[in-house]
Amino acid sequence: MPPAKQTKSTSTVPQRQHVLVVKRHHLLVRWSHWLNVPILLGLVLSGISIYWSSPVYQHKPDPTTGNFDVAADIGIWLCAHVPGLHRYSDSPDWIYNHLSLGPGMLALALRLHWLCAYSFMVNGMVYVAGLLLGGGWRSLLPRRTDLFDALRMFRYYIGFPFAKLLRRKWRHPRFNTKYNALQRAAYFSVPVAGCLSVATGWAIHKPMQLHWLAAILGGYNAARVWHFWLLWIYIVFLVPHLILVLADGWDTLRSMIVGWSTRLEPPAVIAHEQ
Amino acid sequence: MSSKQNRHPFVVAKSVAMKKLENFFAEQPPRKIEMVRARLHQLTRRDVLLFGAGAVAALAGGGFLLPRETLNRLGVRRSMDSPGKEWFLNRALRIDDDVAEALYSANRRVPTYTKSQITPLKNNYNGATPDPGYISGWNLILDGLASGLSVSLDIRNLTSRFSLQEQITRLVCVEGWSAVAWWAGLRFDDLIRAYSPVSQAKWALVESSVNLDAYGNPDPYFMSLDLATARHPQTLLATHFNGQPLTVDHGAPLRLLVPVKLGLKNVKAITRISYFAEEPRDYWAERGYSRYDGI
Repeated sequence: MPPAKQTKSTSTVPQRQHVLVVKRHHLLVRWSHWLNVPILLGLVLSGISIYWSSPVYQHKPDPTTGNFDVAADIGIWLCAHVPGLHRYSDSPDWIYNHLSLGPGMLALALRLHWLCAYSFMVNGMVYVAGLLLGGGWRSLLPRRTDLFDALRMFRYYIGFPFAKLLRRKWRHPRFNTKYNALQRAAYFSVPVAGCLSVATGWAIHKPMQLHWLAAILGGYNAARVWHFWLLWIYIVFLVPHLILVLADGWDTLRSMIVGWSTRLEPPAVIAHEQ
Repeated sequence: MSSKQNRHPFVVAKSVAMKKLENFFAEQPPRKIEMVRARLHQLTRRDVLLFGAGAVAALAGGGFLLPRETLNRLGVRRSMDSPGKEWFLNRALRIDDDVAEALYSANRRVPTYTKSQITPLKNNYNGATPDPGYISGWNLILDGLASGLSVSLDIRNLTSRFSLQEQITRLVCVEGWSAVAWWAGLRFDDLIRAYSPVSQAKWALVESSVNLDAYGNPDPYFMSLDLATARHPQTLLATHFNGQPLTVDHGAPLRLLVPVKLGLKNVKAITRISYFAEEPRDYWAERGYSRYDGI
């Protein structure tokens, strides 16, 4: 190798050869995070298929259609009012055809649900192991100032699109932790919801052998209602989670794939000091 | 300095411990690591490629596992059904069955309720409800007995010979609904004691020959039950519902009531009970449901 070239690259631009990074996510956290995508999708889709066979929310059968399922009502309403859906042949099944594996496949849906549920529990343990090994659990703990800070972040997110439209400056609230208070609340509550989903799931699945668990949750029927509504926590979490990760840029997404980030300080601090 | 420490030794010790505790829970600033840029790029490329391979594998796995109807709706016309898929999903079901068995305890009683907690119980015959004509000539046949004989009992034999036990328990359907109902009947265990099965028997096959399919054609129902569950003190051969003899809707004149199993194991209008050493066939297990259905 020509010596001149080597000297040039090491002495004049050393910062180009080396780069400072910080570890963001432990290997096990990243693996369990991404494995959760197919597992949760499988749980939600098979779960709504199972819901079809005995809906939690029912009313007296409709005199003309015989329908008693509120979810089917929503499908009927959508097909009647949304342009383009008018010719949909199976309006009571619209919800199940689009948000689940499909109606009328209880045995298959149950098998997939058990498969995903056991995977979800194992994956949850992998996630906790990753949090402990990487020390990431500390960043998720709620703080005393979180309520106020979360409100500030909420105000920032709500105002952000309007500020952009009006071309006005809209300052990101300042924080010097890995996550802001709103992120912390979200990333803390989703694993809690996961534990509750597992607990309510067991209470429904084994209501006799684990009848004490069903009793804690308010009985078998209450556990079914809890289990159903916990599903919506994941959906409510997922929508802003996806939008904000994509809005935040490649570094954030990359850090969940490869583990490290080149943002050495929390982004808000950098933005503030510029 | 030292006098101050002497005056408040307790406070100082406490605050140090508190500090340690606070530090333990406090978020630590990220450690900055210097890396060779080329090496970092290499690692990134590796991990992103691995991630892409994982995404492709997840899609392939979804295609492999999803039901045919779901795939058809997504535009996949090719049949993806394979023996491998059946085998894999059955494995998952087996694991769940094993968990159910591990959770089962012969000594654990299911919760019982008071009469004020009773809820309506619908006729959930999977097919058509049989014509009540069968009831007048009804007999229960017992097979696989230690005596080597086949025994036939009518309902008067059963209700006069055995003491009836009342219980208000929850019946849970695989579909998710449940009902708290008031039953009375003889204990299955008492029948087993009176007519002992062959010594190596571990299973009972409970059948109803009067069961019909949705079009009203004969569709005999057959259901496997392990003898440990049959002997559970709350497993009844029920003769009464809500204080009255069973109606045809609820499986007159004799139905199985096994509250530690899903509703589909609670065979209505039993016509035969046979004992076996090996696990017998099961109507719903052959239709893709679990074999043990322990809850």
